[in-house]
Amino acid sequence: MAPLHGLYRPRTVDEAVGLLAEDDEARLLAGGATLVAMLNARVIEPTALISLRFIDEIKGIAKLSDGTLRIGAFTRHRETAASALLLGSSGVIRDAASQIANATVRNMGTIGGSVAFADPGLDYPPALVAAGALIELASKEGRRTVAASEFFVDWYTTALQPGEMVTGVLLRPSNGGAGVYVKHARVAGDYATASAAVCLEADGRCRVAIGACGPAPLADPAIDAALSGDLSDAALATAADRLAAAADPLDDVRGSADYRRRLIAPLLRRAVRAAEAALQRGRARAAARR
Amino acid sequence: MTETDSITLQVNGEQRRIDAALHDTLLTVLRDRLQLTAAKRGCNQGVCGACTVQIDGESMRACLSLAHNCEGADVRTLEGLGAEPRMRALQQAFAAAGAFQCGFCTPGMLVSAQALLEKNADPDDAAVRTALSGNLCRCTGYVKIIAAVRAAAAALHPEGGSAALPAGAQGTAR
Repeated sequence: MAPLHGLYRPRTVDEAVGLLAEDDEARLLAGGATLVAMLNARVIEPTALISLRFIDEIKGIAKLSDGTLRIGAFTRHRETAASALLLGSSGVIRDAASQIANATVRNMGTIGGSVAFADPGLDYPPALVAAGALIELASKEGRRTVAASEFFVDWYTTALQPGEMVTGVLLRPSNGGAGVYVKHARVAGDYATASAAVCLEADGRCRVAIGACGPAPLADPAIDAALSGDLSDAALATAADRLAAAADPLDDVRGSADYRRRLIAPLLRRAVRAAEAALQRGRARAAARR
Repeated sequence: MTETDSITLQVNGEQRRIDAALHDTLLTVLRDRLQLTAAKRGCNQGVCGACTVQIDGESMRACLSLAHNCEGADVRTLEGLGAEPRMRALQQAFAAAGAFQCGFCTPGMLVSAQALLEKNADPDDAAVRTALSGNLCRCTGYVKIIAAVRAAAAALHPEGGSAALPAGAQGTAR
């Protein structure tokens, strides 16, 4: 394998994807929390690195003119976890960000790095699927967006094509909804053994996704449709059974596949009840203002 | 065969010109080229926190930062933070509380704790635990470490730290 021969510092996305198009063995360096660990362990040996640190257009969280929220790919978990823009059901993203690893890693890691890495134990993927987020991509050929539910394809595999990079995450505005991410881990800061993300809108629409129970977040529009308007214990139990049947979890040091399937029902129930409570609190606040 | 290049890093307020390979981490450069050995090489995987330094005012892993990607950033190690009042209070409190066993994790603990006290003058136990959750002590001496951080905060603000920051500023990122 050729040694690492270059570290590029593009200033724009166009420059970055131009570099990526010239060398398909080059890797994009965002926060480094995962990529540099893999370099140190020689798990990967890229020929060149393209540092994203100097590209302003992929930094920070902004509200676009149509109300869409855009989280730039190079936004660190710390900033996402503290954002006052992630209101309503988009709060599920903030909730997930605040539970990633530990404070120092949250100072380093970025949302673009997380979604491109697509480890099934990560916190963002289920939260993004539940939020109905779009992943914003760029290549030399142009820009496109892919729904989060279609972006995460398999273990460490995404819809990213060669020469393509993640530039951001787009979230629809949520008016008065609530979003909750519940994670079960062996100790604080570990990868999830299993997790549940729930987005509940003010009109009763509900979307759920389960993390760390298969190659990609578990979600099903039919389950969401059944839960929208019926969040009874019986409806949640049925939803959890269907999700557990569709799960394909690992048997590993964090838990057996069977244990992970059994976690789905309690995590789903906890996340849904917390979202309902948050929705009630929001309604009470709105009523107090009137 | 490894390509090296000269880079300029700002370390503890000084411009330092160093030859570094592209794959060299900031930790390698600090310890092996600049002889700044407070940051420790523990896991080299970003797990243990013994290599914690501050980059542009935030605690980060030196082992997960490529030296070449740190050009233009403000890098502070424990050596460069020692005269800062919060760090002096922390060092004194660690010594008074006996918040050591082998001491290998201590530099990382101090750098993370100092970053916490800059944002939160009067952290409770939960805030200290959260701020230090990325720093492992394999002697498991956490109880005294947490007590020492709180003692340092109290020593810095004997009137009660809550008054030291304007309302709403507690725990918020800069």
